[in-house]
Amino acid sequence: MKNLFTFTVRHVQALAMALALFTFVSCDNNREEEVLPGSVRIEFNHKWNGEESGIGEVLNDHLNHPVRLDNLQMYISPIELRNERGEWIEVLDVALLDFAIDGQRMTASAESGTYNALRFGMGLPPEINTNIDPASYANEHPLSVPGSAGMFWTWSSGYVFVKYEGKFATEIGNQLLEPLSYHCGTDESYRMVTFDFEENIVIQSEEISAFGLDFDAAATLIGPEDSIDIVQDPVTHSAQGTILAARLMDLMDDAWTLNPL
Amino acid sequence: MSMCCRPPQIALFLFLTLCLIGCKGCNPDTCDPPCDTIATPYTLEIPPFFPPMDIPEDNPLTEEGIELGRLLFWEKALSADGSMSCGSCHLPSAGFADPNPYSTGITGAQGIRNAMAIVNLGWASAYFWDGRSTSLEEQILEPVSHPDEMALPWNEAVQKLQNMGTNENDIDYPSRFNLAFATTEITPDLVTKAIAQFLRIMVSADSKFDQWRRGETSLTDDEFAGYQMFLLEGGDPEITPGGQFGGDCFHCHSEAGLQFSDYLFRNNGLDSTFTNDAGLAGVTGNSLDSGRFKTPTLRNIALTAPYMHDGRFQTLEEVIDHYNSGGLPSTTVDPFMKYNTGGLMLSEAQKARLIAFMHTLTDTAFIADPRFQDPH
Repeated sequence: MKNLFTFTVRHVQALAMALALFTFVSCDNNREEEVLPGSVRIEFNHKWNGEESGIGEVLNDHLNHPVRLDNLQMYISPIELRNERGEWIEVLDVALLDFAIDGQRMTASAESGTYNALRFGMGLPPEINTNIDPASYANEHPLSVPGSAGMFWTWSSGYVFVKYEGKFATEIGNQLLEPLSYHCGTDESYRMVTFDFEENIVIQSEEISAFGLDFDAAATLIGPEDSIDIVQDPVTHSAQGTILAARLMDLMDDAWTLNPL
Repeated sequence: MSMCCRPPQIALFLFLTLCLIGCKGCNPDTCDPPCDTIATPYTLEIPPFFPPMDIPEDNPLTEEGIELGRLLFWEKALSADGSMSCGSCHLPSAGFADPNPYSTGITGAQGIRNAMAIVNLGWASAYFWDGRSTSLEEQILEPVSHPDEMALPWNEAVQKLQNMGTNENDIDYPSRFNLAFATTEITPDLVTKAIAQFLRIMVSADSKFDQWRRGETSLTDDEFAGYQMFLLEGGDPEITPGGQFGGDCFHCHSEAGLQFSDYLFRNNGLDSTFTNDAGLAGVTGNSLDSGRFKTPTLRNIALTAPYMHDGRFQTLEEVIDHYNSGGLPSTTVDPFMKYNTGGLMLSEAQKARLIAFMHTLTDTAFIADPRFQDPH
C-alpha cells in the first residue's frame, strides 16, 4: 500500500508537470479566458421627444416641420467612470455609434470598485482626430478605413464627429425633399458629457453593471438655451468661421439622459 | 501485465491524450482548406497609405491559387458556348471594365447595369452596384450561371473543367486544383476561391497620384488645383451653406486609404423615380434605399467609361456636368447633392482642373501588368 501510494504520488506529480507544461506550451491562446475584473454594458438608444423612434420615421420638429432622419452616427471617445478617489478610469477608448442599427450596445471591462459618475466625449479628442492616417488602424477599428466609412474627411480636417442626415419638408403635407445634413467635426466641436450618478454603482469582479444612454435627436434642434430652424440652417460641414456645428454640439450635449438598467 | 507497470502507461496515455485534445482545442488553424495543402503562400504587399486587406481565413493567397484563378478568369470554357470568359466584360484596355453601357451575354441578351471595373476589389466590402454580394467569392458565383451572361450552370461548369484534365490539348485543371487546393475534385466553391485570389492581387497603386503621394513626382498646376477642388465643399457659400466652390467629391470618393470610395451606397440624383432600377432597395426591400448604388472608386476612372450604374454618361465631362447641375430631387437623394441650391456652380476651367486630377488616378502599369493578362 505504501509503495502504491508512493508510486501514485510520483505519477500524479508527473502528470501535473505534464499538464502544466502542456498548458504553457500549447494553450497560449487561452489567455482570452482570463477573468475580467468586472464589466460595464452600455446600451445606446435613439429617441425623438422622449419617445422611442427609428431611423427613417417621419416625425415633426419643434417648429412642426416634418423631418425624417436617415442617418445618425456619432463617435464617442473615451468613456470613463469616476471612482471614489475622484479619478477618471477609462473603460472604452473609442466607439462609433450608428443608430440605424438596432441594439447599439457595448461591453467593456472595468476595475472592480465603486463609481459615482460617468463621462464620455462626443467626437474624438484632438490626439486621435487630425493628422491621423485611418490606414494605420486594423480594419476592425472604428477609426480605420472601413471602420470609419463615410466618417473621415481628410488628413487635415480629421473625422466627422456626428452625422445627422435626413430630409424635411417646409410644411406638413409636402414631400420630404429638402436635405438636412449636419456634419459636425473639427477639434473645436469636441464636447464632454458628464453624468453624476444619483446612486453610486458598484462594479464587482466577474459581474456586469448595465445602464442606458438615450440620445434624443429632437433635442438637437431645441434646448434650454438655443434652437435651430432647419429651414434656415439645413446644412453644416463645420467649415471654419461658421458656428452652426458648435451650436449643434452644444445642443447635443444636453440631449442625453442616463438610465440605470 | 503486472499492476506495477500500469501507472506509467496510464500517465503516458493521459499525457498524450491531453496533448492531442489540447492541440486540437487551442490551435486557431481550423485546417480549412486542408492543412496538408502544398500550395505556396503568397504575401501580398500592401501599398503605402493603403489599409490592411482582409483575406478570408478559408481562402489564403497562394501562388498556385492565384495562377489558377488567372486561368479561370480568362477561361472561355466557363461559358455555355465557350465564347466568353470573365475577361470578356472586364477588358484591361478599359481598366478591366466594359466599354459598353451594358454587357452582352452569350445569347445576345444584355444586362441592366454597367460592368464595374476590377481594381482593388480586395478592399471592398460589398459587390455589384446594389451590393448584393458581401464577398468576392460570392460575387464570382453569379456571372457564370446567369442566363444573360455566361449562361453555364455550375454543375456543368465544374464538369467541363474536370473533363479538361483528360484532353492533353487542354489545361489540366484537376492537377491545377490539386496544386492549389490539394484536391482534384473541382467544385464551384474552389473555382470562386481561385478567381477571388486572383482578383485580390489586382492592386492598382502606381498612378501618377500615388507616385506624387510617395514623393516621386510632381503634379501639374492644373492637376494639383483639381485635387484641391476634389477636397472642397461644393456650391456658392452665399446659397449653399458651407459651400467652397469645390467639387465636393471627397465625401463619397474618400481618399482614406487611397481607396477613392467610401464603399457606401448613395443616390446621386440621376433619377427622380426608380421603377427601372431600385438599386440597393432591390436587395434590402427598404424604400429608403431606392436609387442608391455603390460608390465606385475613382481609380482608373479615365479608362472606365461609360459611367454610372447604367452607363448613361460617355465622358467625364458629362459626369461633372451632372454633379454641376445638382442632380434631380427625390425622397432618397443624397444630402451631398446640391439639387436645390443650383449645383456646384463650377466654371469650365474648374471642371477641366477636376478632370485633370482624375486623370492622375490612371494606372497604366496596372492595366498592362503581365500577371493580369489572358494566359490562354
